[in-house]
Amino acid sequence: MPENLLHIADVSKLFGENQVLRGIDIKVTAGEVVGLLGPNGCGKSTLLNVISGFSRASAGSVIFAGEDITSTAVDRIARKGLVRTFQLPSMPRRMTVAEVLQAGKAEGLGFRSLFARSRFDARDVERLLGELALDHVRDLSAGSLSGGQKKLLSIALALRTNPRLICLDEPTAGVHPSLRQHMVQLLRKVNAQGVTLLIIEHDMHFIRELCDRCVVLDRGKVIADCSPAELTLNSGVVEAYLGGARDKRAYA
Amino acid sequence: MVQFVVDVLMRASDLVLIAVGMSAIYSLMKFPNIAVAQYAASGAFIALVLQKGGIPIVVAAIIAVLCVGIAAVALNELLFNRMLKISSSTAMIGSLAVSMLASAVFLLAIGPNPTRFSLPITRPFRVLGARMTENQLTSLSITTAAILCFALLLFRTDLGRCMRATATNRLLAEATGIDTRRTRNAVVLISGMLAALGGICLTLKGEINIQTGLDLLLPVFSAAILGGLGNPLGAAAGAIVIALAETLITGINFGPAFGRELLFMPAAYATAGSFVLLVVTLIWRPRGLFVSEVKRV
Amino acid sequence: MFDFLIHVTILACLYSLVALSLNLQSGFGGLMNFGQIALFGCGTYGAGIAYKYDLGFASGIVIAAGFAVCVGWAFAAIGRNLQEDYWGMATLALAEVIRIIVNNEGWFTGGAQGISAVSPLFPSLAGRMQQVAILWSCVAFLAVAYFLCRWLTDGRYGLGLKVSREEPQLALSLGYDVAALRRECMILSGLVAASAGFVFAHYISFVAPEQLVSSETFLIWAMVIIGGIGNHRGAIVGAFLLQFIFSFIPFFKDLVGLPTEFVAAARLAMIGGGLIAFMLWRQSGLVPERIGGTKLA
Repeated sequence: MPENLLHIADVSKLFGENQVLRGIDIKVTAGEVVGLLGPNGCGKSTLLNVISGFSRASAGSVIFAGEDITSTAVDRIARKGLVRTFQLPSMPRRMTVAEVLQAGKAEGLGFRSLFARSRFDARDVERLLGELALDHVRDLSAGSLSGGQKKLLSIALALRTNPRLICLDEPTAGVHPSLRQHMVQLLRKVNAQGVTLLIIEHDMHFIRELCDRCVVLDRGKVIADCSPAELTLNSGVVEAYLGGARDKRAYA
Repeated sequence: MVQFVVDVLMRASDLVLIAVGMSAIYSLMKFPNIAVAQYAASGAFIALVLQKGGIPIVVAAIIAVLCVGIAAVALNELLFNRMLKISSSTAMIGSLAVSMLASAVFLLAIGPNPTRFSLPITRPFRVLGARMTENQLTSLSITTAAILCFALLLFRTDLGRCMRATATNRLLAEATGIDTRRTRNAVVLISGMLAALGGICLTLKGEINIQTGLDLLLPVFSAAILGGLGNPLGAAAGAIVIALAETLITGINFGPAFGRELLFMPAAYATAGSFVLLVVTLIWRPRGLFVSEVKRV
Repeated sequence: MFDFLIHVTILACLYSLVALSLNLQSGFGGLMNFGQIALFGCGTYGAGIAYKYDLGFASGIVIAAGFAVCVGWAFAAIGRNLQEDYWGMATLALAEVIRIIVNNEGWFTGGAQGISAVSPLFPSLAGRMQQVAILWSCVAFLAVAYFLCRWLTDGRYGLGLKVSREEPQLALSLGYDVAALRRECMILSGLVAASAGFVFAHYISFVAPEQLVSSETFLIWAMVIIGGIGNHRGAIVGAFLLQFIFSFIPFFKDLVGLPTEFVAAARLAMIGGGLIAFMLWRQSGLVPERIGGTKLA
């Protein structure tokens, strides 16, 4: 039985009186690709924030590779191998795309890195630029890229950190359809190399092509945990997305 | 004891109008405007110059207050709005630059020596055992009246409602049909006028020199932060807290604690105390004393 | 005249060091430090106190460095959760507190009179030879500091600083310990500023709290912004430009026959006007920051 890489153990989150997450329990084994779905407002982004350390769970715990990271700081979680992308990525204006990718690797940084003759991983950067079709913009200001390009850059940055688990927040939103296939291939390759993926998405094609498993949230609770093919058979999921049996007739 | 209360009130009234002005401007402009302290000094200097030119003090004060208010609006439209589009830090440095230009003008126009209004010198009298001068009483009365008027404006008029709406959520306010540009100008005008009035009231009690505006900056900012930037009436409470802290620091006799009869902190430490209070507030309670949630400022 | 030029150049070199330090903080670290002069003061008082207590030149260096590390660390600690402009006000407040304490604790710091007759540099030389020796040392010192700054920021460390400066949330999510980076940046640049102060104290043989007023910080800011923020050469250009212009204002005043206040007023007006002009029309300064200059090995 493979070890759980990530265990979200009975996590709840309250914002004042608003309970956004209720007793979420999800296990992710190493090497899986898990999709996280649900209608808008169901708590997906909040869950991602809690996992990655940007928000702290009100109850429950998050265990990554055997360690409890519930109250660990964002940067320490990232250095342990759990990184995330943002839904609306904001990129530095006074750095080029290539420089930002260079900066992607925070490992070993610190006063000592000044004395170590640190070689820039130029090859790694060039490869990523090519794979994400960003080489034609490599010398432009990263802040001036289009929203879709920034999305691609943020995925490239996540890959630069040599992570064990990447949480992607709506990676295809705003990205040109021709590049989505690119992204699918890249993520498949990354997963084949052993990186676990947790993807928040709405695009069902993307989900079906990539994910082994789908977890569906609705109003802060897990309502389904199955393979993509079984999703449409789950009445709870259909109801959450489409609003009830009555409306289903309209779509039949 | 009554003297203590009087001292605190006097010091608070030094700060309160300017702090309220600063807080009100912040609620709409979202950057700490360093020039507000110089608005106060300008009000006093303009009134002084006018009085020396023969105009009666009340008229001079009114003209000065209006001039500074209008100048504040002009500076806002021409300078700070444009800088704010770049970033709030740019606007803050811009306000610093305006403050320095004001200092340069004061230096040339007034000179380095302190000046005061030419008012008849009256003997201090006693109120419940505390010493007070007539000028101090006038100053305090004007300050209180101004605060009350401002509170009335904020909570009982249409303009006040527009001000509060725009301060809370500008986009939403615009969507409901409020002319945010006009509201903003109105707020800046009133804040400038309040600050100028504050400067005049301060000078009524004593004297003013070209350094006074800058000396007021940090205490006023402390008061505004304590009350919660953007909460103008909170700034009034903040001013009282700062005045209290300053008066306590130099007023308490530490002698008994050290086995001596008399041991007081040097007067300069009063202001140092309020600065430390500012730093402490920014670290632990950046949204002010009256908000329960601690958030990033 | 020649002696005067040597003197101005020495001061320009020392100001350049302080400007380099501030540029490192604001242009690379994204730290808006309005208390920079306090770091300079760590150097001056390190030298002064070592002299006062007869501890020797070398001990002065150690004391100055110690002060700088403490103050730099304190500044960084305050800024952990504060936005830029508020951190600026907090550092301004803290620097003022330091100045007030230095001004009052005369038993330790010499109080308002300061410490005079601090041992000169190159005591074995005299007159012009001594001046020239000091000049060349300062120039060499500046060159070393410049290359040190370049070495620091041209590599991975510099990129890390830049990301943390512009997108701290992104930097955190990539594993950068942003707080630690800022702390290191603050302490390193504090040491640079303090070293300038140390040399300054031994050059003019006088240390006093009046050298630590906040207007000096604003002058350094003008140098950095006009010269070009985020650019080491820019800081030096700005420092030399402003220092030379300011040194010749008194001559101009005598030539045209203007009052004494003109000197101070002109300096203030130039700083204020220069800041506004550059922030509105040439934000990148005289020597713009090169984007994309980092070479990939």
